[in-house]
Amino acid sequence: MYRAIIIGGSAGSFQVVARILSTLDKDFPVPVLLVLHRLKHVRSGFVEALSIKSSIPVKEPVDKDYIRPGFTWLAPSNYHLYVESGNRFALSTEPQVNHSRPSVDLSFFSAAKEYRRNLAGIILSGANKDGAAGLKMVGDMGGTTIVQDPSECQVPVMPLESMKLTKVHYVYNTEQIVSFFKKIRENGQNRQ
Amino acid sequence: METEVKDRDFRLFVKTVRQYSKYDFSDYSDKSLKRMVAKVLSDNKTDINTLLCNISNNREYLDNIINKLTVTTTELFRDPLVWKYLRKNVLPGLKTWSTINIWHAGCSAGQEVYSMLILLNEAGMLERARIIATDINSEVLGIARSGKYRYSFNKGYLDNFDLVMGNKGDKSDGVTHVPYSRYLDIDSELDTISIKPFLLEKPVFKRHDLVAGEITFPGKFDLVICRNVVIYFNYSLQSRIFEMFYNHLHPGGFLVIGNHEKIAAPVSDRFIKTGRTYKKAVTF
Repeated sequence: MYRAIIIGGSAGSFQVVARILSTLDKDFPVPVLLVLHRLKHVRSGFVEALSIKSSIPVKEPVDKDYIRPGFTWLAPSNYHLYVESGNRFALSTEPQVNHSRPSVDLSFFSAAKEYRRNLAGIILSGANKDGAAGLKMVGDMGGTTIVQDPSECQVPVMPLESMKLTKVHYVYNTEQIVSFFKKIRENGQNRQ
Repeated sequence: METEVKDRDFRLFVKTVRQYSKYDFSDYSDKSLKRMVAKVLSDNKTDINTLLCNISNNREYLDNIINKLTVTTTELFRDPLVWKYLRKNVLPGLKTWSTINIWHAGCSAGQEVYSMLILLNEAGMLERARIIATDINSEVLGIARSGKYRYSFNKGYLDNFDLVMGNKGDKSDGVTHVPYSRYLDIDSELDTISIKPFLLEKPVFKRHDLVAGEITFPGKFDLVICRNVVIYFNYSLQSRIFEMFYNHLHPGGFLVIGNHEKIAAPVSDRFIKTGRTYKKAVTF
């Protein structure tokens, strides 16, 4: 059973994220963490834009919030988002990593350390190598690694860099990622 | 790939610092601190054993390491909407008070201290303000006292300034254009933004570790500003620190925290969220 699913994306990932979130509902059994690079000037309205597409509440965590299911947790703009011990979020204003804050790598590293094999990491479309080392860490710690099929990506650099660094478990197109979530939803229900 | 520090080495580091100094990092958020320790190791091109040895033998080295462990990110008028709120909704309410006592806890290089001073001066309240600004990091306090910042990386300061002052066409509040030159000397040749001397002399900057608990300076405050500082602490340490802030605020006083922070229990329900600030309840 996964304890979290973490998604990293940059340029070209918004539509994919919106598609995935549109298929989830508030009873989805696993917390979904979103780490997306955002342009500084569009920081406000981003949650709203995603919420419109989403059937599960999208929330920017407040520091030390518990990482609970029933939400999509979106890394706030201008902060790094860590998964802290005790199943809480921690925010940080450390300098940019890979020219990014939030950095996908930092979130993936910390989530991998905390959740190990109970984590799925997904890297979507993007123009930056941020996230590649993070996804490798997810795999090294025993978690599941997924990248969006580069041939489908608007900007394939992020998935390609990830594939260069580690042998990813699955290369999925958007609809296959959607079914991955669907399976988790069904398994979760069976268990209850 | 970033360098990493092993859990065991990290715990040993925290323990050694606690043993050889008055600083205790046990209740810091572990992921961020671990990363800072890894960075110290790689920047100093050293290993954990040498680091620990130096820490336990050399006071000055230890102090320098402490400085390197703290995150010092800040800006002039960081999150302009917060400062706009303070200018429009908080300061007018303090206008009739004979003194206004302000504590900037975790002030870093002082940008937000000067932001407040600028607002106080605009409101005609500078004379009556008593300001103390503290940080654990002696290096950034030096920059804070000098009030000198790089121009090239910090042009955003000026955008924030304009936003807070309503310099960009926000005529609704009837404020006239406030020129930078009233508060800042900008020299692109020297690459500096310097705070004017009449503001520099106002605050008392003091080294203080929030984790140590009691404050080493007297007083109760009308405003406590502590933004994006407690995010580096775990929840139980946050609880202690917010309780300390509560105890050192006058009833009706304001606490200003970061946009993605909240007040930890048990004092959280003794504050009333008021716009972008938290007001200490008058009776409880």
